[in-house]
Amino acid sequence: MKRFSLNKMLVWSLFGICVLWLVIPFTLAILWSFVDPSEPWTPDHLLPPVMSFARWEYLWEHSSLKVAMLNSYLLAPSAALLTLTLAMPTAYALGRLHFKGKEAVKLLVLLPLVVPGFVTAIFFTAILFQMGLHAWRFGAILFAHSILFLPYAIRIMSVSFEQVRQNHIDAARDLGATPFARWKVAYFPALKPGVMATLLIVFIYSIEEFAIAFIVGSPNFTTIPTLLFTNLGANFIRPNAAVISLILVVPNVVLMLFLERLLKSANPALSSGKG
Amino acid sequence: MNTVSVQNVSMRFGDFTAVDDVSFTVADGEFVTLLGPSGCGKTTLLNVVSGFLQPSAGKIEIGGVDVTFVPPEKRDTAMCFQSYALFPHLSVAENLQFGLKQKRLPAAERKQRLNDVAEKLDLVAQLEKLPNQLSGGQQQRVALGRALTMRPSVVLFDEPLSNLDAKLRESVRLEIRKIQADYNLAAIYVTHDQGEALAMSDRILIMRNGKIEQSGTPTEIYNFPQTSFVADFIGDANILDATIIGQESEDFWRVSTEIGELLVKSDTPPIAKRLKICWRPENAQFGAGEMNSIEAPITHRAFQGNYTDLFIEMNGVAQRVQWRRSHLEDITSLSMNIRPEDIIFLEAMT
Amino acid sequence: MKRWLKISLLLMPGLGLILIFIGSVVYIAIAQSFGYFNLSGESGFSLEYWAKMFDRLSYSRAIGYSLYIGVASAFLAVIFAYPLAIWLRRPFAGSLFISAVLKAPLLVHGLVVAFLYINIISYNGIVNQLLQALGIWDGPHRLQNDSGAVGVLILQTWKNMPFALLLLSGAVQAIGDDLLDAAADLGAGPFDRFRRVIAPLAVSATQAALVIVFVGALADFSFQVIAGPINKQSLSQLMVFFKGYGRWHDAAVIAVTLMGLGIAGSGVLALFSRFVLRGGRLS
Repeated sequence: MKRFSLNKMLVWSLFGICVLWLVIPFTLAILWSFVDPSEPWTPDHLLPPVMSFARWEYLWEHSSLKVAMLNSYLLAPSAALLTLTLAMPTAYALGRLHFKGKEAVKLLVLLPLVVPGFVTAIFFTAILFQMGLHAWRFGAILFAHSILFLPYAIRIMSVSFEQVRQNHIDAARDLGATPFARWKVAYFPALKPGVMATLLIVFIYSIEEFAIAFIVGSPNFTTIPTLLFTNLGANFIRPNAAVISLILVVPNVVLMLFLERLLKSANPALSSGKG
Repeated sequence: MNTVSVQNVSMRFGDFTAVDDVSFTVADGEFVTLLGPSGCGKTTLLNVVSGFLQPSAGKIEIGGVDVTFVPPEKRDTAMCFQSYALFPHLSVAENLQFGLKQKRLPAAERKQRLNDVAEKLDLVAQLEKLPNQLSGGQQQRVALGRALTMRPSVVLFDEPLSNLDAKLRESVRLEIRKIQADYNLAAIYVTHDQGEALAMSDRILIMRNGKIEQSGTPTEIYNFPQTSFVADFIGDANILDATIIGQESEDFWRVSTEIGELLVKSDTPPIAKRLKICWRPENAQFGAGEMNSIEAPITHRAFQGNYTDLFIEMNGVAQRVQWRRSHLEDITSLSMNIRPEDIIFLEAMT
Repeated sequence: MKRWLKISLLLMPGLGLILIFIGSVVYIAIAQSFGYFNLSGESGFSLEYWAKMFDRLSYSRAIGYSLYIGVASAFLAVIFAYPLAIWLRRPFAGSLFISAVLKAPLLVHGLVVAFLYINIISYNGIVNQLLQALGIWDGPHRLQNDSGAVGVLILQTWKNMPFALLLLSGAVQAIGDDLLDAAADLGAGPFDRFRRVIAPLAVSATQAALVIVFVGALADFSFQVIAGPINKQSLSQLMVFFKGYGRWHDAAVIAVTLMGLGIAGSGVLALFSRFVLRGGRLS
């Protein structure tokens, strides 16, 4: 009885803290993004005195936001497709074949996650300079993203390949299926959630990636995160930063929630963090 | 003296009553088994005794002291878990001493108890190993040893043998019983295996739907089940609806059933005019007798090794007979009789 | 032989590219730190860049500062996550909601987190207003870029605690109820159950959480630039600074330092946590 009410109190206090933790910061960000340039939001007002979409319209028309969004939303799907394509053969080998050194391969695949992002970014740029390719920014960032996010893709896809059931393949063969029919009946259903999850996760990570885009892309190739960074630093205008923050965070949160569901249905171990 | 006394204990989870007003006692050195199908409340009851659950109503006394609201770590009970629950990061020796260290016993005493238990349970060679390096039977013994080193007033067993294979189970049964007797411990043993219960227990409490259906020694329970549930749960039984049609003498009654009129000899009178009766398939007597003779066609048979199950049918009612004779292949109908004393009165019909 | 070839070919586009890419990045960082791959002058082995760097005060201070941020963030994240993981071990009414809210920061981009934070602690922000309204402060205080790097630690904890929670919850939930019941039955109270059963069994998850948070926070760039102390620089910041001036060799020295510290620090943290959680034993 005593423990029960204690727990209830804990739940409610934590609930309160969590609301403060998330609701207040985001509410403030949303309010700031609606501050009309005609009158500043001074501390004596609880809400911005004049609210409008002026900041949104201004940024859309007069800043590099449009270009940044175009870059980000071109880069992300390309990186997702390229990563998936590159990951498939390795994932197949890890998921369906037995060979010596498989565990070592699984570990080595994680290398891009271990090297600090800015080290990778800077010395990837150094390589580009050495090779005289530093003008080729979009391609360079796309290439770097695809390799950087390979560990996630290989991990998810090799689990998917493991889940293809040998007896389904055997049954299909036994019933005289052609290789294509076998693929359709045995591989495709097991791989589909993994493919979706891989595309989504690389898409999100590519949109969010900052170090490579910032270092390789500087000074004139912008993505949403690099634009936000410049707006948080030298030319800090709070309402503008609020608008870009929301543009960066809202679609990704929606996609992430979608991803969480997908991973849960594809493989419970991955979403619970034990993977 | 009673070591454990469970008084009017009920356990409710929301609308569901898992244990319903149960009372029983366990004496020093007595081995009591809670037997029943899954979901009958036996494990819940064990968890109430061990302190993992606090009962919705009622009282638990251990050694005459009320411990109803004492947490498990302060209770003088030791539990042998179904999953063994050995600490995977600790060696066998450390597992065996875990509770002793919690009690802050001096090292010399710990060592002495450890050696004592390790020797009794034949674990001396395994002391430095980790649990996952042991076989199932060895792990089971470590779990038992870990409970025994505590020298508790009562040991609680939660289906401790269900993860062992059949052969091993029989030898561990004997071992548990021997050690329990050596230490003169009170024991409460939960199982759904009737064979285990019959072989090990001083007393069996048969549970059903959170209540104790019947309690008694294994022979009492087997020979004189009081309800069709008990008759059917312990051993095999042919259960019939019967109507009393007359009393022949002091302890002889005549009943009418679907398979004909039968004569029943019973020390206790029937509790209603219409009631259930049963007889055990192995008590069928070969050939026609003076009383309760039956002749019926055999519908099917199943060879079981040391006996053969024969199913006969009379007036649409199937009866099972166990025949300790081989070469029954050519028989198509059976002539048999049931002795009046082998027929048992059960509960009233509803 | 044919099988060996098939597997190698399959591994080429995945593992092969990773090894080539990361391998050449690490190789060029190390080589440049020793004077090779000079873009503007003569290339060749030289310890000059290391020697000069060791003499710079900004270098040693950046090492100290980055190590401080890395270690403090790692411990803060784990210290906050542990009790929550144990509390949320068994589901109860509202526990799903709470763990969802606690994990929400995983979905928020680091730069956005930094923005939300400086928005709240700004000169006329809600924290200043609240403390003034409560009469604790007379006037607004400047909280951004505080010299103790409290801001950076708050941001790191906010961002990394959910991750540590995810790892620790997995480990703590994997410990069966039976095991904890057995410990209680043998006389272990709540603290002893943590110390002697949960902690030793969650060692690897704790190590993983500490190391991953440490490596990330050690190499922190954005939180430091946006919310960190103005008079201190993190290693990444210094590295980006050198790169900005085309001083590749100096940047390379810092990159190698960063990787070296990451490996050494992870090792120390892993051993330390194992030692503490196993109750002072290493074996």
